[in-house]
Amino acid sequence: MITAGTAQGHSKRGRDRAFPRRLFARAWALLAGAVLLCSSVSGFAAPPTGRGAPLTVFAAASLKEALDEASAAYTAANGQAVRVSYAASSVLARQIQQGAPADVYLSADRDWMDVLQQDGLLDDGTRRDLLGNRLVLVAPRASGAAAIQLRPGVDLLPRLGGNGRLALAMTASVPAGRYAREAFTALGVWDALQPRVAETDNVRAALMLVARGEAPLGVVYATDARAEPRVYVVATFAPGLHAPIVYPVARVKASRHPAAGAFVTWLATPAAAAIFHRRGFRVP
Amino acid sequence: MLSLDIHLRRGAFRRHVRIEDAARVIALGGASGAGKTSVLHAIAGLVRPLSGYIEVEGRRLFDSARGIDLPPHERRIGYVFQDTRLFPHLDVRANLHYGRRGPGFDAAGSTDIVELLGIGHLLGRRTANLSGGEAQRVALGRALLSQPAVLLLDEPLSMLDQARRDELIPYLQRVRDRTRLPIVYVSHSMEEIRRLTGSVHRLE
Amino acid sequence: MFEFTPAELAAIALSIRVASVATLASLPFGIAMGWLLARARFPGKSLLDALVHLPLVLPPVVVGYALLVAFGSQGVVGRALAPLGIEFAFRWTGAALASAIMGFPLMVRAIRSAIEATDRRLEQAAATLGATPWRVFTSVTLPLAWPGIVAGAVLAFAKALGEFGATITFVSNIPGETQTLSSAIYGLLQVPDGEAGIWRLAAVAVAISLLALLLSEWLVRRQRGDEVT
Repeated sequence: MITAGTAQGHSKRGRDRAFPRRLFARAWALLAGAVLLCSSVSGFAAPPTGRGAPLTVFAAASLKEALDEASAAYTAANGQAVRVSYAASSVLARQIQQGAPADVYLSADRDWMDVLQQDGLLDDGTRRDLLGNRLVLVAPRASGAAAIQLRPGVDLLPRLGGNGRLALAMTASVPAGRYAREAFTALGVWDALQPRVAETDNVRAALMLVARGEAPLGVVYATDARAEPRVYVVATFAPGLHAPIVYPVARVKASRHPAAGAFVTWLATPAAAAIFHRRGFRVP
Repeated sequence: MLSLDIHLRRGAFRRHVRIEDAARVIALGGASGAGKTSVLHAIAGLVRPLSGYIEVEGRRLFDSARGIDLPPHERRIGYVFQDTRLFPHLDVRANLHYGRRGPGFDAAGSTDIVELLGIGHLLGRRTANLSGGEAQRVALGRALLSQPAVLLLDEPLSMLDQARRDELIPYLQRVRDRTRLPIVYVSHSMEEIRRLTGSVHRLE
Repeated sequence: MFEFTPAELAAIALSIRVASVATLASLPFGIAMGWLLARARFPGKSLLDALVHLPLVLPPVVVGYALLVAFGSQGVVGRALAPLGIEFAFRWTGAALASAIMGFPLMVRAIRSAIEATDRRLEQAAATLGATPWRVFTSVTLPLAWPGIVAGAVLAFAKALGEFGATITFVSNIPGETQTLSSAIYGLLQVPDGEAGIWRLAAVAVAISLLALLLSEWLVRRQRGDEVT
């Protein structure tokens, strides 16, 4: 078999074929049709409204187990589906600022709720302080670390060992991280600790690092420590060391969901309070 | 100098080729598609025969009965391909010297071959800028400079027009006469073969 | 507007370092894998191909978590490497590892395509000229596949620069050590007055990517030599 051409060049013949215009046009028409179809069927143009649509709740990561249980109870009692998006309160607030379709917002501190309120994004009348929490220092269960007294000037560096790190949520933005930094500053030890810190996306990620034994110490909420069997509490931060840990809730003003307000109200009822209390949250 | 008895795979068929020839310059003739290139590929080690043996100048390159199968880079064959196959990322000089072996390389011999083939003026050129005839002479020089024990030429002129062919045949004759290398020449053109050697094997 | 805070400068420097190390360190593996998938035939080849592409289809956080499990200080590999002084947990080396893994599929795809496109007949010619399989690979296959290899490296570098999910899950966010450009931007996103910083860092990210592209162009052109037009 004789091959045409030398090894130096590729044959250009194939590329000169006429562009398959008709095929291209048909493909475009098909694609456009599909997009239009999808948008009309799923109501792509507007967020889902009406009783049948699920309620969208943006909630702080530390609420995971408790709110899952509470919203399941709500659905069982009222037949209203609820879907919750958990992340750092800071991330969620920014998303709501950018127009994310949340119906209800449950933050882990007042500051982020204030930010949204100042932007006029909340239904002010529905805002209320819902839950409280405590900040704790945790260690991996297998480490057998002894309890610590968190007094002013307490030296945690020996507990971290040679290159161990203290896991906590991002201290500039995430509530759990901010409370922690505030508390350590009040104790006068933040400057010494800061170089030894590992900041995570949210408080649950910090919890995970301690649970896996990657970090010898971490700062999380008391409720997080309860939810994770692989860690245990070595110290509790005195409430005065940081701003009160308050979880406010509010309906998002842009929400069109008829059940949003009812859900916010329900969260303050004794039935819901019992669920949160069982998980370690403080209820007023 | 060539002694081979092999079975080659040809699609769904087997092809039996037997050549026993003591002449220094041997030609394989036959129509296109008769399998001449496959025989050269087998001698070079680029294709493995189903069975048999291949012996060149007394050296056994392949023997299925004895489990001998030298890889191509150990067979010391110089192969000139129909499509030249010059390396596009190297210039002419680098192509020519690609096959040189170790410190014992004979620099003077290299100049001789360059002169023999009249390619001295092409040394700095990129391979893309060579004419068909020039490229084939460079390919020939490259094969020769790798210090082979035998030269295999696979229809080296079939891609050239008549004028270039007439130009190149004297170079081939020079190589034949001056290097004293064993040569296996494959072509479907009996006229080419006649001008280079008397010993022809026809493959059908 | 274009005054960078020390933290931002640290993030930029770290990102360049992490992305460069990730790309260069994974290049030999990328070439080997590209060659293997392009040329070799062996049982389980499709499975290997799928494994290589896993980081592309898995959520980055999952990849980060898997890295934590394997290479963290409690992980199987992490514990084996610790006595050798090789540490990934909470270190820039971990960020580099995460970036390298996330960019690997892109690198391999580009290199594999390039090697598949190289003319095997030229490799045959090289073999007849006495080149061992290794020499054929280094003197013929690699140079001919070079543009594809450079493309693969650029893709991996760009991916490393933008990598976030796996990095923050694996080595968290430690300014100066694991806070890359992406992590820094992510942090600034959550601070109410972080806007200016975000735009600054994004501009730098774009500039670095453009430079990387220009470098790759130059690398390819240089290897082609003086091409007479």
